[in-house]
Amino acid sequence: MTTDQSTMTADPATRADQVLADVTEILRDVIGEEYIVDMSIDMDTSFNADLELESIEFVTFADRLRETYGDHVDFVGFLSEMDVDQVINMKVGEVVQFIVDSLETDTPAAAR
Amino acid sequence: MAEIVANGVRLHVQRLGPKGGAGPESPVVVMVHGMVMDNIASFYFALGNCLAGAGCDVICYDLRGHGRSERTPTGYTMADSMADLEGLLDALDVRRPVHVVGNSYGATLTLALGLARPERVASLTLIEPPFLIEGLGEEMARSLTQVLAAVTDEEVEEWLANSAGRAVSRITRASQALLKETTIAEDMLATPPFSPEALASLPMPVLAVYGANSDIIDQAEGLAELVPDCTLVVLEQHTHMVLREAADYLRDLLRWWLFRRSEPMPSHQVRGAGFDTPDWVRQMIPPPNLNSGDEPTTSLSAARAGSSAEA
Repeated sequence: MTTDQSTMTADPATRADQVLADVTEILRDVIGEEYIVDMSIDMDTSFNADLELESIEFVTFADRLRETYGDHVDFVGFLSEMDVDQVINMKVGEVVQFIVDSLETDTPAAAR
Repeated sequence: MAEIVANGVRLHVQRLGPKGGAGPESPVVVMVHGMVMDNIASFYFALGNCLAGAGCDVICYDLRGHGRSERTPTGYTMADSMADLEGLLDALDVRRPVHVVGNSYGATLTLALGLARPERVASLTLIEPPFLIEGLGEEMARSLTQVLAAVTDEEVEEWLANSAGRAVSRITRASQALLKETTIAEDMLATPPFSPEALASLPMPVLAVYGANSDIIDQAEGLAELVPDCTLVVLEQHTHMVLREAADYLRDLLRWWLFRRSEPMPSHQVRGAGFDTPDWVRQMIPPPNLNSGDEPTTSLSAARAGSSAEA
């Protein structure tokens, strides 16, 4: 993972691109099936409708995100009040945006 | 992925804590999911993150054979499952008494742990435990026979072809394999019944939650009568699937149970329109219909399941 480089980038737009790239790489790895290799994943991709992600795969996905972003991003807080259906019906962009926002507000010193 | 070897079995574990991490005073909460058509995800989303955010040190795990944990060919008895859970607590170096929250057969296991190892348990939360004092194993068997009958090859293939997406088909196939390739069915048949004397001396507080429309609601009052310190919550309109149906309320209830028990219990608001439990959940997870093998159930093949249970 290129965590340090991602979080070091100051420009928000670039950072969003990098987070999306990280998230996409993790998703392809978690799903681990052939059909996902050629599928383009962008901010509008739905975990449920497009990726058909199982709820347990989202558990693994969130775990990998925690490994990647550590304490900078509070995934427990993010998922606290969401039902499983709400989680699975999210778009990839909602997770990316949450990570980007967390990185900007949480660690300004480390990010620059 | 967090993997821990406990009792010689590789278990998938997710440990969740509040922002900044759990402290030495944080309540440790262990969540035990149901058998066969279930895994870590149900508690992880319904209560795990929520209670971690509220300040708990939460341990969610996949039971042996389920989710991302190792599928051993044997070792699915109540005693095995308890040894796995105790081994997990040891491996995580959890020495303080823990609050155990179980769903369905996971709640039955939770209750068994409270009886066998009271010194390790601070409180029990039992969500829809199939609970019989006499002949539990036998009755559990009938329920399992229904589950087994509900996942025969041809039916599953037909059902998958008609309706299921990738996510559903994967958990269906995993459950099918679990039932076919392991001793889980016969091990569950061997589940010993609970003794009423033991239940009457259960030392820790117990929170029992049932859906008013559950097939096993008639067991709720027996539990509340026997267990000395039992808070019984029966949720109107809800079914055996109450963990999924009423997750919002259960979050409030568990925050109250763990942090504010001296205050009044949060009230349950009945929603007029019913719930949004997807049909496939209702169809694929038959409630443990413990008391009659021949009444209609919501399983895929209720009629055939009933007749084969009788035979």
